[in-house]
Amino acid sequence: MKNRIIGACLMLGAALVLLPVPATPGQTAASPSAGAPGLRYEIWVELDAAGKMLLGKEEIVWTNPTKDAVPDMLLHLYWNAFKNEDSAFLREARAETLFSRGDSPEDGEWGWVDVTDIRLADGSDLKPSLAFVTPDGPETEGDQTVARVLFPAPVQPGESVHLRIEFRSKVPRTVARSGYYRNSFFIGQWFPKPGVYEEGKGWNCHAYHQNSEFFADFADFVVHITVPRGFVVGSSGKPSETRVDESSGTTTTTYRQAMVHDFAWMADPRYLKVEQEFVADREVTPKEYEDTAALLGLPVDEVRLPNVKMILLIAPEHKGQSERHFRALRAAIKYYGLWYGPYPYETVTMVDPPFRTGSGGMEYPTLFTAGTSVLASRNVLSPEGVIVHEFGHGYWYGLAASNEFEAAWLDEGFNTYSTGQVLAVAYGAGSLGFSFKGWPIDWFLRIPKTFDFETNRVAAIATVEFDPVTAWSWKFYNGGSYGANVYMRAATLLSTLERLLGEPAWPRIMRTYHMRYRFRHPTKADFIGVVNEIAGKDMTWFFDELLDATRAFDYGVAGLSSIKVPRHLRGVYDTDGTRVEWTDKKIEESETLYRTTVVLRRYGEACIGGDARIKVLVRFKDGTTETRTWDGQARWTRLELIKPVEAESVQIDPEGVWLIDENLANNSRGVDGTRRNVVKLMSQLLFTIQCLLHFVGSWS
Amino acid sequence: MGIIKAIIGGIGTTLRKPRLLIILYVVNAVFALVAALPFLVIVQGELGHSLLGSFVQPLDLMWIGEAVLEHQGSLAALLAGLAAAALVYLVLHVFLNGGIVGRLLDREGRATLPAFTADCGRYFWRFVRLFLVALVFYVLTLGVFMSLVSALFKPMTESAVTEWLPLILSNLHFLIALLLLSIVHMVVDYARIAVVADEERKILKALRHALTFLRKRFFRAWAIYLLIVALTVAGTVVFYAVLGIFGTPGVPQVAAGLVLMQIYVLFRIWVRTVFVAAQAEFYRAHPY
Repeated sequence: MKNRIIGACLMLGAALVLLPVPATPGQTAASPSAGAPGLRYEIWVELDAAGKMLLGKEEIVWTNPTKDAVPDMLLHLYWNAFKNEDSAFLREARAETLFSRGDSPEDGEWGWVDVTDIRLADGSDLKPSLAFVTPDGPETEGDQTVARVLFPAPVQPGESVHLRIEFRSKVPRTVARSGYYRNSFFIGQWFPKPGVYEEGKGWNCHAYHQNSEFFADFADFVVHITVPRGFVVGSSGKPSETRVDESSGTTTTTYRQAMVHDFAWMADPRYLKVEQEFVADREVTPKEYEDTAALLGLPVDEVRLPNVKMILLIAPEHKGQSERHFRALRAAIKYYGLWYGPYPYETVTMVDPPFRTGSGGMEYPTLFTAGTSVLASRNVLSPEGVIVHEFGHGYWYGLAASNEFEAAWLDEGFNTYSTGQVLAVAYGAGSLGFSFKGWPIDWFLRIPKTFDFETNRVAAIATVEFDPVTAWSWKFYNGGSYGANVYMRAATLLSTLERLLGEPAWPRIMRTYHMRYRFRHPTKADFIGVVNEIAGKDMTWFFDELLDATRAFDYGVAGLSSIKVPRHLRGVYDTDGTRVEWTDKKIEESETLYRTTVVLRRYGEACIGGDARIKVLVRFKDGTTETRTWDGQARWTRLELIKPVEAESVQIDPEGVWLIDENLANNSRGVDGTRRNVVKLMSQLLFTIQCLLHFVGSWS
Repeated sequence: MGIIKAIIGGIGTTLRKPRLLIILYVVNAVFALVAALPFLVIVQGELGHSLLGSFVQPLDLMWIGEAVLEHQGSLAALLAGLAAAALVYLVLHVFLNGGIVGRLLDREGRATLPAFTADCGRYFWRFVRLFLVALVFYVLTLGVFMSLVSALFKPMTESAVTEWLPLILSNLHFLIALLLLSIVHMVVDYARIAVVADEERKILKALRHALTFLRKRFFRAWAIYLLIVALTVAGTVVFYAVLGIFGTPGVPQVAAGLVLMQIYVLFRIWVRTVFVAAQAEFYRAHPY
């Protein structure tokens, strides 16, 4: 009885552990309406459009949230990355071997930010203590993108410090993410901004690197933007009041936004501003709410979405594509909202990037830049892809605000994965965006359509040997390795994990992770913790093996044979008290058996772990199948099956769970070979070479 | 002679000499087969036993990406091999040009293999010299003249307010390059015809014949050229439209697609001979 009770308890315990846990409801510690607990900005900035300058004043109130006494503050001065070629950014850009994000500006087009005055609210001048520092090591000695200022006395735990800063910035000409072209301005990473203070560690404030984005604390912003009259302005936050100054010919608009960690804006006199409302009840059906709630194990009310004001700033030449922009944004607000949590802000501003400002495809809290062209094909999901992706960063970076310097995959990888999911459900597969001289190729030729997970996978398997996904942004082998790892490989790994864990565990993991770490700074450990908690098993091996290591994942079929074997060997046998002789003739007349031998190999270094298994499906010529599993630990294994029918083929991972497997061709093998498509491929190739030769010959 | 008459005459000449097309097609196909062999080894090795071979599509990114990555070490060698094959084919085609022009200009003669190869040999060195001179003109056109056009467009491109102007200028640049190349190409075509028709041994003299001929009737000659280009484009559009019908995998579709592709290659070769034949008709109608 005791054993039974123990057994029942163990089974119940195991069931509880193994049963998917509902997404954890209501775990947001903060919301925009509550305001940021520890940081407030008020900024007055004036755009000198002719001189390409910003003149700014800034008040920062920072409250020490830790138990440390903090003697200083580290400030990001990002635009100094474009001040000279000694910056970490431009040094790295010059050394880049593949994808450079920004060339050195031309003469006279450099950008910078000067802190002209910095003092405490009581008037204490801190400027004498202001000095550039290089937190990322002496190799970036000349970099001026981080400055340190000393307080007269350490800021004690819970104490606030009120800084008044004046700054003058020269807008760079079209360099990474910010800049001007003619009278168009995109202003991002423009104001002196404190790093993130981490208890016991100090300020987390890295230099501006070529392959890195940003990290900052949640704050409440009030920003007063003054531009020449006639300029159309788009900005993070919600516009409150606008004031026209006839004497100076300027317009000042105040924008407010609570609980965001950055603030960007643009100004262009040519731009059109279009507004629409995301009306949740029109976009989401009651059934979609019910299905989502059931999948996530949450009450329906918790998955309901709010209405959101969508603001589009678009160049006149792209006006005809406005509805395309809004449709994509509606899809993004809907699916990110349903899957990960409701969009918490009142507005989202979508900016068609001003021509030649180098600002396309970039995210900022409540504002992002898209990117299209005048000749945009409807079959290619562009600008849709970039809109969904950049809006999605509002979730992965904006809300679950991981450190983009140190763990870029936590935002780019998650968001690349999420983008693919939204595009797939909202649009289906899209054509690859090839163009020639601006003309989409698919207007003339049929281009195959693909899903994002397919294209991501190709990049993912290309990059494994260079860097682990989890490397710090500027420490990747090159820009290609950075991009392929933190975007595509990370996304492919998440897709693999999704297939491995399945529903409802996976959607609950993503929901719980997002909501639990909304308005916080999650790390890899936080995500692994949620995965293990919701999946009910330890999946740490997955991250160790595939994210932290540079090991190729490749399981394959090395051999398949199915040969006739005699049921008996010749000779005399004693069976059930009688003696029987098996002769050649008798053996031939008896039932035929086949010994099917399958050899599986682990070609890659990466190894599955935990309770994961490689599934092996053997198909026989009579249509029957047999399934086996392999723990995949050894470098190879041999399976033998004796059946009265010959095998036809063997396939590992028939459901395509291991998307990260880098060679799908060796995942299966037919006894007789399968040449039909070899002929098809070769006929295509032969044709291509024939045409190429004919073309070459015509120039003789 | 009118341009339509020249084209119809050219078509008639090529249809009367089907063997010429067969010779050119066989040379093209055999050469392409040899160049494709290394790729066949790879594809057979990768997919010959894999079930993926049953459903992989010609432009299957999943598989192509894998194959490229797996064979990236040998990819450069494969592409270099392909480039070398193309260069050899270029030289071979200089040789074949003698047979093409020689047989097309010999109205009564048949396009037998001995006659064809005899013409190839007879004009080979003259056509080699002509090719080298033509190369100079191509380089001048693309390198020097187009650089001048680029320099002319650059200030406008750099000061553009929207993407429209750079787009238009870029396309205009490309169009100008194409038209200029077509003119140089046409001049070389007529020089080649002059070598055979006028039995001219001096290449520069043959070029002068061509230029003199074209100076008097440039637009008509160019119209013939552009009309035949249009014929090629139209044929290509039809080909891809029909090929799309055979998109679904299946043995009959694969076989039909294969045949259709070969018909298209034959069409391209035919159009190229029509090109020469029509120009020859036009040239002969206005003797130097």
